[in-house]
Amino acid sequence: MALAERVRTGPPKVGQTPADEVWRENKWRLLRYRPTVAKADRWRTPILLVPSLINRYYVLDLAPGRSFVEHLVAAGHDVFIIDWGTPTAEDRFLTFDDVCHRYLGRAVRKTAAFGPDGVCHVLGYCLGGTLATIYTAAEPAQVASLVALAAPIDFDHAGILATWTRSPGFDIDALIDGFGNVPWPLMQASFHMLKPTATLAKLVGLLDRAWDDEFLDGFLATERWGNDNVSFPGECYRRYIGDLYRDNALMRDTMRLGGKPARLGDIDCPTLAVTFGHDHIVPAAAATALLDRISSPDKAQLHLSGGHVGAVVSRKAAAGLWPQLSRWWAARDTDAARGLGDDAGDDVDAEPAAAPAATTAP
Amino acid sequence: MNLWDQWKKGFAAWESTTAAYMEQVMANPAVLGPAGQMLTLAMKTKAATDKATAAWWAAMGLPTRRDQERSLHKLNQLESRLADLEEQLAEARAAQ
Repeated sequence: MALAERVRTGPPKVGQTPADEVWRENKWRLLRYRPTVAKADRWRTPILLVPSLINRYYVLDLAPGRSFVEHLVAAGHDVFIIDWGTPTAEDRFLTFDDVCHRYLGRAVRKTAAFGPDGVCHVLGYCLGGTLATIYTAAEPAQVASLVALAAPIDFDHAGILATWTRSPGFDIDALIDGFGNVPWPLMQASFHMLKPTATLAKLVGLLDRAWDDEFLDGFLATERWGNDNVSFPGECYRRYIGDLYRDNALMRDTMRLGGKPARLGDIDCPTLAVTFGHDHIVPAAAATALLDRISSPDKAQLHLSGGHVGAVVSRKAAAGLWPQLSRWWAARDTDAARGLGDDAGDDVDAEPAAAPAATTAP
Repeated sequence: MNLWDQWKKGFAAWESTTAAYMEQVMANPAVLGPAGQMLTLAMKTKAATDKATAAWWAAMGLPTRRDQERSLHKLNQLESRLADLEEQLAEARAAQ
């Protein structure tokens, strides 16, 4: 049985696309993937990928043949990614502004400096998408376009996670004062509790396809990533829960970043919200609110089947999501394409944001 | 349909029903309230214990764990501030 052989070979290798570190600060670093396409054939505008704070960045570069990053590099994009690193005890004092304004801002500026136009495309995944959206709202100058990939924006529709964080018994101050950084095992247990039967279902699925090498490659790499989490800097978490989950500050236009207002209405760059039909972590309604509020004339929703992680890392994503995102960026590669360029619009199978919310792929 | 396929079908039905039920349980204030209170009590106890330990340690004139964390954080902030200033300097030079 292929599964039994995997016990001998050990865990799969992840994050294999060659990259160079272009910046390092405290625990985070900015990586630039080595291009594989001749310079003349590359797209002009670099792309910055912003993963979630609590997961490792290599979910977007899972394994050769299963890597979103590898796909983008092969398509001629200049790709950068933030590796948030592992917070240690002193990072309990890191604030939301430190992470979302100072660190993310620096990553945007460093990435943009590599392009000829001084701007970069920004894609944020999950919480990374929320951070990218807040940053773009407050500091739009160097963001050529925004892709919010399964990113919660309207926390009134953020599902059971919102119910938990808004429960009167959940004392965020006691949690931060007690733990410092919010420990990853606590957060991982919370995610398991979202759907407690999922682990059993996963086990049955594994037994069912234990002979299938291709399935095992993806399953084991995803599992390795899923169990390699990091703790959340305490002060940052206090504001994340308080301002976003509890006060829904983005939707109420009360969010501030680095002393500036971060209003969704100030986002006027091309924006794509990607949602998934079986995403129980970020329901589609929590993500699409972004499109209702921004002022950009070039905005769309891409709604696909699949779950929060599977839809981003699966073979299906390689044939659907990844090339669609690549084409979306390609169509907005120059300054002329900002706003509503002549060639913008027909590049993804997305629905215009003004269309009814139910835009489901099979 | 073989036995394994039949069992899987039954499991899928059980999983679907149980997941829906568990979602209701997990959102029930009667569950969330006591669970939150237990977590809060544990955290307040931990914070009080840490504070008492730190006070005892500080009474001997020694830096506490929290003192060291604050110092390291300040060093990190200083490093970031220097990076900010370098960026501003580079911008100013480029504008000249």
